[in-house]
Amino acid sequence: MNARANFRYGRDFEVVQRLRPEPETAREVAAQQGIDDLEFEIFQHKAGMIALEGKETTMRLGASTAMRWGDVAFGIYTAQGDLAICATGIYHHAVLSQIPIKYIVKHWKDDPSVGLKEGDSFFYNDPFYGGVHNADMGLAIPVFADGELVCFIGAAVHTGECGGSEPGGMVNGARSRYDEGLLVTPIKIGEDFVLKEDILGMLANMTRDPRTMLLDIKARLAASRIAERRVKEIITEKGSDFFVGSLRRVLRITGEAARRKVSRLNDGIYRQPRFMDTTGPEDALLKINLAVEKRGDRIKLILRGSSPAISDRPINSYFQGIIGLAMVYFCGWFFHDLPANNGLLDAIEWEFDDNTLVSAGGDLPVSYAPATQVAFTQGMFMCGARMTYAIEPLRAVGCWYSGFAVTPYGGLNQWGDPVADITPEINATGGGGCPDGDGVDAAGAFFATMSDCGDVEATEADRPFLYLFRNFFNNSYGHGKFRGGAGVGFGAMVHGTPGLAVGGMGFGTRFPATPGIFGGRAAPTIFVQVVANGNMRQLLADGAELPHDMGALYGQDRVEAGERRLQHVSFAPQPLAEGDTIYVPVSGGAGYGDVLERDPALVIADLRRKLVTPWAARNVYRVAYDADTLRLDAEATRALRTDARHVRKARAKPYADFVREWSAKCPPAAVLRWYGRWPDPGAGSVAAATA
Amino acid sequence: MGFNVGIDIGGTFTDFCSIGADGQAVVYKTPTTHYDLSVGFMRGIKELARRSGLGGHDYLSRVEALRYSTTVGTNALIERNGPKLGLITTAGFEDTIFIGRSRSWADGIPVHQARDLARIRKPAPLIDPEMVVGVRERIDCRGGVVTPLSREDVLEKLQQLVDRGAMGFVVSLMWSFVNPEHERLIKQIIEEEYPEDYLGAMPVTLSSEISPKSGEYTRTMTTVVNAYIHGIMADNLNRLGNELRDGGYQRPLILVHNTGGTKKVSRTKAVLTHNAGPVAGMYGSAEVGRLIGTDNVVFTDMGGTSFDIGVISGGELRAHDFIPVIDRWRTNIPAIEVKSIGAGGGSIAWVNELMGKALEVGPQSAGSMPGPACYDKGGVEPTVTDADLVLGYLNPDNYLGGEMYLDADLACDAIETRIAVPLGITVLEAAHRIRRLVDARMGQEVFNEVALKGHDPRKFTVFACGGAGAAHACGFAPYIGSRRVVVPAVASVFGAFGASTMEIRQVWDVSRTLKLFRWNEQAWLADLESFNQVVRELRDQAVRDLRLEGFPEERIQFRLELDMRYGSQYNVTKVEVPHLVLQTEEDVRDLCDRFTSRYSEIYSPEAAFPVGGINVECFYLTASVHQPRAPFHQLANGSEDASAARSGVRPACFDPAVGLVDTVVYDWTRLSPGNRIDGPALIEAPETTYVIEPGWCYRMDPWKNGVLEYAA
Repeated sequence: MNARANFRYGRDFEVVQRLRPEPETAREVAAQQGIDDLEFEIFQHKAGMIALEGKETTMRLGASTAMRWGDVAFGIYTAQGDLAICATGIYHHAVLSQIPIKYIVKHWKDDPSVGLKEGDSFFYNDPFYGGVHNADMGLAIPVFADGELVCFIGAAVHTGECGGSEPGGMVNGARSRYDEGLLVTPIKIGEDFVLKEDILGMLANMTRDPRTMLLDIKARLAASRIAERRVKEIITEKGSDFFVGSLRRVLRITGEAARRKVSRLNDGIYRQPRFMDTTGPEDALLKINLAVEKRGDRIKLILRGSSPAISDRPINSYFQGIIGLAMVYFCGWFFHDLPANNGLLDAIEWEFDDNTLVSAGGDLPVSYAPATQVAFTQGMFMCGARMTYAIEPLRAVGCWYSGFAVTPYGGLNQWGDPVADITPEINATGGGGCPDGDGVDAAGAFFATMSDCGDVEATEADRPFLYLFRNFFNNSYGHGKFRGGAGVGFGAMVHGTPGLAVGGMGFGTRFPATPGIFGGRAAPTIFVQVVANGNMRQLLADGAELPHDMGALYGQDRVEAGERRLQHVSFAPQPLAEGDTIYVPVSGGAGYGDVLERDPALVIADLRRKLVTPWAARNVYRVAYDADTLRLDAEATRALRTDARHVRKARAKPYADFVREWSAKCPPAAVLRWYGRWPDPGAGSVAAATA
Repeated sequence: MGFNVGIDIGGTFTDFCSIGADGQAVVYKTPTTHYDLSVGFMRGIKELARRSGLGGHDYLSRVEALRYSTTVGTNALIERNGPKLGLITTAGFEDTIFIGRSRSWADGIPVHQARDLARIRKPAPLIDPEMVVGVRERIDCRGGVVTPLSREDVLEKLQQLVDRGAMGFVVSLMWSFVNPEHERLIKQIIEEEYPEDYLGAMPVTLSSEISPKSGEYTRTMTTVVNAYIHGIMADNLNRLGNELRDGGYQRPLILVHNTGGTKKVSRTKAVLTHNAGPVAGMYGSAEVGRLIGTDNVVFTDMGGTSFDIGVISGGELRAHDFIPVIDRWRTNIPAIEVKSIGAGGGSIAWVNELMGKALEVGPQSAGSMPGPACYDKGGVEPTVTDADLVLGYLNPDNYLGGEMYLDADLACDAIETRIAVPLGITVLEAAHRIRRLVDARMGQEVFNEVALKGHDPRKFTVFACGGAGAAHACGFAPYIGSRRVVVPAVASVFGAFGASTMEIRQVWDVSRTLKLFRWNEQAWLADLESFNQVVRELRDQAVRDLRLEGFPEERIQFRLELDMRYGSQYNVTKVEVPHLVLQTEEDVRDLCDRFTSRYSEIYSPEAAFPVGGINVECFYLTASVHQPRAPFHQLANGSEDASAARSGVRPACFDPAVGLVDTVVYDWTRLSPGNRIDGPALIEAPETTYVIEPGWCYRMDPWKNGVLEYAA
């Protein structure tokens, strides 16, 4: 380890590597001796209840949108910083939230100017340690027993505003990390069980929504303190040896279980390159080159050959964020029956090239890292479905929508209070098609599965919007034998405020974000519509017939006038005035299987619900029916499908021919500006040569 | 004063409890007749009469009040046999109930199921998507009309629903709880078009009347559930009412509400009857708690498949901040929370190979069919009941009062092959671990439930009810930190007992945002009338309603509670308010101080943030009418010596290292108040078995409740 590894006044590249459990200390080894199996089982349940209570309390007390709708990770960490017990639906924090704790242990525990003692509390949001972006903020407290540091307790959650150069926590126009707002490495914000008012004042002063900032901090702290009391009760009853040993044992057996489960999968390499269509502020083709290698009881994620990092765009991700998002798939789908903690990483290995889109250096902007990370996760789902098909075919499912489409905003609300946050419909995407049924309509967000999209009335109560609609929309999902779950689109008018800045974050406007599985089709591309200086307020007053969903928005009988802009789903915040409108589609899940195998009765049912268009029914699913009565013509349908299969066969060609023809194609140079070398961005790099 | 009767219908048994003028309780239990609940109901009434030494007609004519917690509505939901309803909502929000705040797939399912994300599914809707129409209208968050309602549009959409076969209408519009004008207009239009005089008349249910609360999904679902079960319940209860009248009962049938009170059938909203049985049990716990001098009680009910938990603090049943899920639907009724977890006698024990041969109990349950292995009904999985039997706690020849024979060999085989052999331990050790594990989990769940409500669980007395409660009370109490457990005398019919004691009570609630302290101005609410008007309207509703039940205003007692929050928080904290009227700014400050004080108490002073702005979000006015009742029959305490009740000795295991040891068995029916039994010991009651573990002692109190205390 060189001196740089201990450098505090910049990025600590060493600590972020420590995602797996730390080596067991002599204390931990000794403490595990003699723990009764039954007492350990009882401990595990109790510790889980403590974490659950912490999560519930954090949610109850917090104020930001993510906090309101359940986007919370609450955990108990070992004294070395490993996350042993966790209650969350945002599983990336199950491995990422440990890094700031390990930072505290490494830098502050023995530093006389900071130190660790009972009653301390630490705050942090530097994405280099949090792994995702600045809006994800955390708080942790050390817990002592008889003077010994026995664990940490902490909560991580997305607070919707972090004082960047644009409101809402994600900075589209970030040219460096210094445009992205607060960059707090773990800092002591409380001592002797009291928060330091001077530091709270500073944090409040550096964000647009100080009230939410402070309520969220207090929520994390209150929940941690309650959990601290519970932990001390265990220690009082069972002793610190039992507690320290059990906490460590959870990690160990989780790792063993993970390896056991991985070993059941077939060995092989599963490839799923992923592409994105934006750097944030502009269109671009970017590649995330994912291969998953499964050997024995290990899975290796290989991301070599991905596009290079972009020094002045917010789309970069740190490698640790990618690993974090891999855990979303693993914890929720593959390891759903195992505890969620970083012991799972004992079964996971990884390889990255440095300075790539998925392994950016410490000084790059990362506001839009969530987009890159979910794009990667979509590939993880695809590889995972193929890996699990042989052993658990019913769990080999399509991916939930993975293009985001989130709407950050900031300004004054209708009560004159400052607000800056995101809209909750990010949590209303469709689930992926399954082997035995359609995906779940408006299932949620795959990366925050305990979150929900809330009620429109709850948003309108203190956010200056009047929703025009929030409904499913047709063809919002990937078609297939079993279609993806439908997505939700919403239209909203700025209401009750002189002005507001509204932006967008996501990808999948130029080409789909969420490809299908096993022959299923991708969820469609989406874009955002904004209408400024229009007549919506008058239309509402007149009781005009207005679109009820995204599908109707672009029909022939458009009545809304004004300056209409159709935009990439990712765009910098724009000032909108009272009466201006914005329409955002939050899309559905990936399709599963061949469209020609879809039961025609399901297509008719979707026609009745306006979840599929007549065009798609006839041209995608090849279903014949009476347009007036929607009665199925089974015979004509069979004929249409037979024809379609003939057409497919006629189009067929030897694989080598396809590869040759396909490989001769190349996008225009402007599209490839940030891509790296075409077609393989990693070709020629040292890492690629040795891979 | 005549009899006060409580009836509680459960999944397996219907329970009856009749308390006479002398305060003595007569109880009865009969299998639930699912094909027609009234059959079992009337059978039980006849048996109560017989046990009271009266003829059926004579008995019913002497019944003062017949209070009934029914599952008719719940059954209609589960069986999906409600009417075809049409939903009229605001145009643009037709999919609200199908979107279900997106996570409706997780509502009403256990945590482990919700974590298996590849297999999640949303429940089949109560209203077909084709039966939802949106009308052009819009009201904003301040109640202002942004888009007026169009009569022509309503008529057109109404016709669509009628053409598609609507048998009733639910109307739920955006922000109708602030301004119900449009909902009322729609009702007026429907009633004009389909007047009551005609066969085509159809019921109209407005969300602003059923559930005037914020949140369009929960408000709509509350209204939908109510409309869905209303007709079925009305038919069923009217038939039953006629039968009772024919049988001699001269008063109205009274229904138990999940809000902790009772009302006449004719003044009951159907949705308030869901899960009323356990709430009645909680009420009974509060009553018994008062008898024995304890205000803070945790009610638990351990049955075959579930373990129910309810918290009573300060002697009162209180609606806490939670979202009641009825079947699979989130609602916003002000119900008393009873948490149900998947742990009971039927919980299956298994070895988790993936986790390195960890022993697990549940969440799967063998239920009542096939049931535990020892039932000999085809079940082969080892369960908690099997473990209890192997440990010698249950008497195979005297289970459920001798109505069921248990096969100890089958229990032993199941535990040996599926647990003991894989883990390399003895059968007794395996059974002991199964029991410890389930007890620990139940105790820890109780601890969390109490703690999440801001109380210290160690300061609560645990009530152990249900068929298996007495057998496990000493096992789970330590995990709550409790050294005292009460097993009520009528624990096996405790829901019926609770029902028989309940008073008239209803909660009137409405969402209304009032900023008591404003963040951006750091100023107090000046318009006190905005607060007082809301309370006054609720009070007027309550008085009007209870007058129709025959109670004068002087007899009505009020309790005002508010949902409050800091600034932009979403979740709220409930605060009790001593005054119904705000008169000065000082009253506003006092209200805010009470909120901060309660908040600090629950969440720690560090969490409080008074300068962040303080809002009221919802008003709850509870109106109750106390009804005099005979005191419970109290016996004199006698000797501690329980030897007269000794019925024998059988081997039981309390420490697997020691093995089976001869343990004294007592007959509960021969015990007298004052008797004391030190553990280890077993007490066989007609419908349950008490397991008194070493270190614990049992005393029978003057009301024949069992008080278990940890003495070691």
